[in-house]
Amino acid sequence: MKGSRRVVITGIGIVSSLGIGKDIFWKNIINGVSGISEVTSFDTSAYKCHMGGEVKNFVPEDFMPKRKVKFLGKTSQLAIAASSLALKDANIPIKAITSDKFGVVIGTTLGERSMEESAESWAKGGIKDLNIQKLFQAAVNNISSNVGIQFKARGLNYLIPNACAAGNYAIGYGYDLIKNGDLNFALAGGSESFSHVAFAGFQRLYAMSADKCAPFDKNRKGMILGEGSGMLFLESLESALKRGAGIYAEVLGYGLSCDAYNATASDVKGIVKVMQKALKDANVNCEDIDYICAHGTGTLMNDKTEAMAINEIFGQKNKGVLVSSLKSMLGHTMGASSAIEAAACCLAIRDGIVPPTINFETPDPECDIDCVPNKARKKKITTVLNNGFAFGGNNCCVVFGEVNSW
Amino acid sequence: MDNKKVVITGIGVIAPNAIGRESFWQALQKGTTGIKPATLIDTTYFKSKLAGECADFKAEDFLGPKGLRNLDRATLLVASAAKLALDDACLEITEENTDDIGVVTATTVSVAFAIAKFTKEVVDDGPQMVNPALFPATTMNYPSSYVAIRYKIKGFNTTISTGHSAGLDALKYAVDFIKTGRARAILVAGVESFSFSNFVGFYKAGFLSGRKAEETCSPFDKRRNGIVLGEGATVLVIEDEEYAIQRKANIYAQVLGVKAFFDAYRTADYDPRIRGLKNSMKKVLEESGLSEEDIDYICSSANSVQRQDRLETQAIKEVFNIYANKIPVSSIKSMLGESISASGGLQLAASVGAIKNSFIPPTINYKVPDPDCDLDYVVNVSRKAEIKNVLVINFGPGGNNTTAVISKY
Repeated sequence: MKGSRRVVITGIGIVSSLGIGKDIFWKNIINGVSGISEVTSFDTSAYKCHMGGEVKNFVPEDFMPKRKVKFLGKTSQLAIAASSLALKDANIPIKAITSDKFGVVIGTTLGERSMEESAESWAKGGIKDLNIQKLFQAAVNNISSNVGIQFKARGLNYLIPNACAAGNYAIGYGYDLIKNGDLNFALAGGSESFSHVAFAGFQRLYAMSADKCAPFDKNRKGMILGEGSGMLFLESLESALKRGAGIYAEVLGYGLSCDAYNATASDVKGIVKVMQKALKDANVNCEDIDYICAHGTGTLMNDKTEAMAINEIFGQKNKGVLVSSLKSMLGHTMGASSAIEAAACCLAIRDGIVPPTINFETPDPECDIDCVPNKARKKKITTVLNNGFAFGGNNCCVVFGEVNSW
Repeated sequence: MDNKKVVITGIGVIAPNAIGRESFWQALQKGTTGIKPATLIDTTYFKSKLAGECADFKAEDFLGPKGLRNLDRATLLVASAAKLALDDACLEITEENTDDIGVVTATTVSVAFAIAKFTKEVVDDGPQMVNPALFPATTMNYPSSYVAIRYKIKGFNTTISTGHSAGLDALKYAVDFIKTGRARAILVAGVESFSFSNFVGFYKAGFLSGRKAEETCSPFDKRRNGIVLGEGATVLVIEDEEYAIQRKANIYAQVLGVKAFFDAYRTADYDPRIRGLKNSMKKVLEESGLSEEDIDYICSSANSVQRQDRLETQAIKEVFNIYANKIPVSSIKSMLGESISASGGLQLAASVGAIKNSFIPPTINYKVPDPDCDLDYVVNVSRKAEIKNVLVINFGPGGNNTTAVISKY
């Protein structure tokens, strides 16, 4: 049985290709701005694709002491920055919450780039070229550890590398932990730095577009890789009300499923199941959902499968449900994606605006949904479903709702 | 919400000193070491030579002869342990029950080899020529996903990569899911595979024994000077007690509690105040409804590192007070090496063995006492004892401290 505590989001921190900080991020999102540009993290001349959603103008020293920066991998830096922004946004001083009831749960896909960089040094120059500092940075759990250390969060500290849905897994478990009383406060979300391995891997799977990401478009050519971090500050509703915090939304529940089908391709049955389980866990019906923040990677397979699954559940009773993919603007930020998208869900609820799916030119009859093409749409949003489907058929969807505390 | 009891109904083990639950328990009872000169890699140019390898492991024995070519070692190990566990639990996955069954897997460092392999091909042959089949294993959730694909387990699939504590962290995640009804049975897996990537990484970072002193895996011993790297895989089937009873499963033991806390001290460094570890031990006793004197055995995480073994000893003394030197403490890593995220599962499997077969595994390779480590470590030879409640400890230099209590059912 679930505990009776209700869990709300009172702080949002975003580091993305559309800006650092949730305000600039959201402004760009609802204006349909693209964060995709030419990749500068590494040399892409040997590739057919040269575009990516990299974070620009990120100055780590803005968020952590200068002497620490060189000891931290990039993914940790992004996570610390987003966490710092979330805490500031929640208007809660660390001194007030540092305790063993303040925990951190973070999702990622490829972890610290230091591991890839070490592998690269080794492959090019041999063991002698291995940099010890990079080796120390390489372990993936450094990401959540570094956030825990920075903000003195002595509660549970977990790193969940559930690939492209990791952010939702982290937010979902953070919600479970506050609900059952293990934690009173949680920083939950995802972080990913622009990965050379992912860039090469997706290209070899022919999953990557050469120029842009056009989810649900008939002529879509695939995903675009991105990076960034989205962190949510979670606490109980009671705590938020008591301290007069601004509340974005409530986590109503979440669902998980595993396709048990294929390492890289999705199975529509598994997708249908996870969305149904999320609705059930949140105790909402499909008619209650105003907006689905799609996984929408822009690949032929994902978008078709996702649209099919959406129609199977919503087709009869809620055909007009709005569906859009932020990946059209941010690219696929991997472990950060469902977390950044969760933040957008909260802001959609707050402002009554649904982000668009940009780069949309030609409808695809196999994606028979309203994907809010190119222009954001004003609409009162009370309940949102956030989809996340990862490699390995690891699926996790979270339901967010407007807070009705009376 | 705390009404649901969580029980262990199946155990699959692939360890350096044994394959299979029964053999593992016997090997622990005999004090059989799995630590030998490494055979999977060439250690010629290194001062460290030892490893806890699952040298006798042949994946074909568990997974059949086909379809294994592109699978990395960690995936082969955990998929094999899963087969053993499912058989041991007599749990058949069907269309009817699969949505109520999930997998959570602890693994952290094994991925380094998959990334190294992929990157080497990109560097050597260029990005257009790298074998795409090498890409999926570069994500840490691959071994867990493969277990689900192979055995058609659809309830949920989560990977936890918290390093030294991941084994028990995965157990906590699973227990939470059982208690909230997200699943009725869960495969709690833990795996790390031994590879050149890990060996070199730990060697260069200064963690391995043998660089500056005699190479040995001797927890609590004064001569200890670093870890011997190990590998292994375990899968424990844990269930909602009602579900286990319904399907007439054999119940090994009960999980009374799991508690995880973080030191928030310094990256990859031990907190000298061991606040997180002490807190974890105190709170897990509380959660389990036990007092200090109720613990019959402490399954330690001591791994032959000076500070680790000393700090754990100190924490036990401060939490258990007058009972500290009356409760036997032993480290199975003395026989298995330090297998990071696989350790927790191996310790859990050993603890169930202690309860079922009434014995305490020894801390072997113990020759020179350390005045700072003066508890009863059951040195060198196992001991017969009635064991009801075991405290299992997972902690390491990352700042994570997770403990669990396993109890006779």
